[in-house]
Amino acid sequence: MSAMTTDAAPAERGSHAGLVHRLLHHRGFVTGLVGVLILLTVALVGPLLVGDPDLTRFTQQLTPPSAAFPLGTDSAGRDVMARTVYGARVSLLAALVVFAITTTLGIGVGVTAALAGGRIDAFLCRCCDVMLGLPSLVMALAIVGALGPGLINLVVAMSITGWAGLAKLCRTLALDCRHRGDVIAARMAGVSPARIAVGHILPSVLIYGLISATLGLGETVLGLAGMSFLGLGVQPPTAEWGSMLNASRIDLAVAPWLLIGPGLGLVLVVTSVTLISDALRDCADLKELS
Amino acid sequence: MAGRVLRRFGAALATLLAASILVWVMLMAAPTDPVEGILRARGILEPDPYQVAAMRTELGLDDPPVLRYLRWLAAWFHGDFGVSWKSGRPVAEEIAQRLPATALLTGVSMLMAVVASVLLGVTAASCHRRAWDTVVRVITLALVIVPSFLFGLLVLNTVVLRLKWGRVVADGTWLTVWWPALTLACGAIGYWSRVLRASVLEALSAPYLLVSRARGASLTRQVFVHALPNALPPWLTIVALGAAGLLGGAPIVEAVFTWPGVGAYTVQAISAGDAPVVLFYTMVAITTFIVVSLLTDVLVTVLDPRLRTPTAVAS
Repeated sequence: MSAMTTDAAPAERGSHAGLVHRLLHHRGFVTGLVGVLILLTVALVGPLLVGDPDLTRFTQQLTPPSAAFPLGTDSAGRDVMARTVYGARVSLLAALVVFAITTTLGIGVGVTAALAGGRIDAFLCRCCDVMLGLPSLVMALAIVGALGPGLINLVVAMSITGWAGLAKLCRTLALDCRHRGDVIAARMAGVSPARIAVGHILPSVLIYGLISATLGLGETVLGLAGMSFLGLGVQPPTAEWGSMLNASRIDLAVAPWLLIGPGLGLVLVVTSVTLISDALRDCADLKELS
Repeated sequence: MAGRVLRRFGAALATLLAASILVWVMLMAAPTDPVEGILRARGILEPDPYQVAAMRTELGLDDPPVLRYLRWLAAWFHGDFGVSWKSGRPVAEEIAQRLPATALLTGVSMLMAVVASVLLGVTAASCHRRAWDTVVRVITLALVIVPSFLFGLLVLNTVVLRLKWGRVVADGTWLTVWWPALTLACGAIGYWSRVLRASVLEALSAPYLLVSRARGASLTRQVFVHALPNALPPWLTIVALGAAGLLGGAPIVEAVFTWPGVGAYTVQAISAGDAPVVLFYTMVAITTFIVVSLLTDVLVTVLDPRLRTPTAVAS
């Protein structure tokens, strides 16, 4: 966020610095941030500390949590702790990629529509309306149906279905910007439309676009995990939380500990993301925007 | 008001048409050739070129895509939903057996979610800043955060397997629908009651409620006669949007409880590359969602007099 603040137009810097200040004093935001940092640490450093997540031990199937295996072993004798840690990488990376693509698409389409106007604007708006009028998880299911199951196809599906709301918001934001003093002044001074778009309009749309994109991040994580749970995302034997939970279904009666690792991981991700996005909504005063 | 409703109806039809083109192109115009898979599924392991050509003609694969799309659309209106590539049986037949179970699950779940979130949202707003408000806020936040399949697995583990309060085998009837429906409703209950609470609180702080309070109206009267009617229309729009979550979440809950519904069947079809089945399921889900949002929009227009004025129509 701090890098964004310095990039913003000087006239706006004051309010954005105030935003960072408010966020750092917001209890929910700090808690969520700590959660995200813990998750990132686990995903980045964790794999160095645990064993091989795919190593099967046929003498130690479904052993309860112990000193050697803190979260027990699964039906193939694999270390659930190691699989949970490696699964964090897959789950977080997929969510971040979807987030990056939807945010770029949403902001790009929104700003393009607002600045192009006319037929392009009308066409892009219709596209957004159609996308918003469709149930996104069902559409994601259909796209995976067309492309076939797999992590990359799932990421594509979630990205295609997730950008429309953000695009409409960014279009409105960009339209408001066109009548701002500095934009009118720049246009009168003969600055090219492209420079106005990149230098004046994009920075202010970017901040609010990023904030409101964060509001949907929890849903993205849940959607990805849900589709993987259905076996449409990560394919076995790669460790991922959704597919681990699905695999645990069969052995639930004898090995309930299989739920602990991936379950806690998912809850931690969604809790952190929800806390952060709630805090952003409180602090950035997005009420009239979203 | 009639104009607004009519225009909304037109927009819904246009969305449905656009969606059908989008989904059809994605699923049926895909570059993968289904013929060999179909023949293999029908027991012809090494088809000769004549059989392949015959199958291509049977499926109409050699025609231009626009013609194929129009033919599919026309057949759809006549109740012909195509043939499963995998089993060779009509899609409608395969799905019809499983549709009632899914309709029951989603319907009960929707009902549960609406009733529970009205109860939680309204009571929490009437007890603003008191213990019950805090309890509801914590519960609803938890419901939003815990993924439905995790909740479902926890239910299976504790309630069904350890306490024996339900049956493990979900058979798609009234007797076993409750836990799966509650699991599916969870996220919606959390989200909807949070929104309704905020909405009622906002209405309670409006000037006309100050007047009502000054006149000595009871809290019940304030909430139910003055605040709730104003808080409901925007909330109903959220509920209609949330129906998309229920439709999309149904396959997941069906997978958790091995519920014999359409969702789980479609997931199998996706893994098997059985496009006509996926196409049918997607179109049914999309149509349901569009109809629900259309009906909600009409309901909101009827409930909210402000939307009936000519100025609102113009905007």
